[in-house]
Amino acid sequence: MKTFMKFAVAALLAVLPLAAQDIKMPVGLDKLAEKASEVVDVSLDGALLQLAGRFLSEKDPDEAHVKHLMGGLKGVYVKSFEFDERGQYKESDVEELRAQLRSPAWARIVTTRSKREGENAEVYLKTEGGQIAGLVVIVAEPKELTIVNIIGSIRPEDIRDLGGRMGIPKIDIGPIKNDKKDQKDKENDK
Amino acid sequence: MMDDFERQLQQALQKKEPSPFFEARVLGAVKRQGRERRASARMWWASAVAAALLLMTGSAWEYERGVREQAAGRQAKARLELALKITSVKLQKISRKVEGI
Repeated sequence: MKTFMKFAVAALLAVLPLAAQDIKMPVGLDKLAEKASEVVDVSLDGALLQLAGRFLSEKDPDEAHVKHLMGGLKGVYVKSFEFDERGQYKESDVEELRAQLRSPAWARIVTTRSKREGENAEVYLKTEGGQIAGLVVIVAEPKELTIVNIIGSIRPEDIRDLGGRMGIPKIDIGPIKNDKKDQKDKENDK
Repeated sequence: MMDDFERQLQQALQKKEPSPFFEARVLGAVKRQGRERRASARMWWASAVAAALLLMTGSAWEYERGVREQAAGRQAKARLELALKITSVKLQKISRKVEGI
């Protein structure tokens, strides 16, 4: 029993630092770049974010807003792959990342799955002491895979609401309608 | 008393022959002084040129560093904008879907 307890404590001590670590982008993702027709790979660590922040003007309201948001960030990592054909990546390519996100520090706050469009999205938040400490977004579309990993304190809605600022498009596609409900409404109208 | 003084004065004012090679030694000392002065001047000029070169190199390096930092900063800002653009668009789409459910 004592031996088991020692082993359990040792295992816990070994796992704890891992839980505290920031997540790592799977190395396997880089192989997808060979198949992709378009690749965006942005890696901004704390030093580069500070440097970028120095070039954001305080006079421009949009840039000042972004500068304010960036205050709590330690890293921004984005990988986006666009493919000419469907099925160029597998679910397993993202599995290594999902495995890291199963640690207690991370919580999946949103999952959307669309069989019709073949589009799946997940949003994960990391909290430390009641404060947001990280954000991961995984969007898997038939011909596109996007992974965003933001380390630091930022709310997803703060980034979402950047639409319309700094040349970031504001998506105005309107809420997605429920097809079955629409059909029923049409039948009732008749 | 007076005689003693006169004798001393006479001895002091007595013409003495210079020691052998006196002229050569004097001329040598003058030449040496000239050489030292010229060497000192050369040294001063060399130091001034070295300092000017150092200043110019330092200024050029500082300017180059500033240009590099400007370029790196602009590139980092562009990357940040791209990252935020991708993330914002994806989150807006997710948000619309969640609202539509």
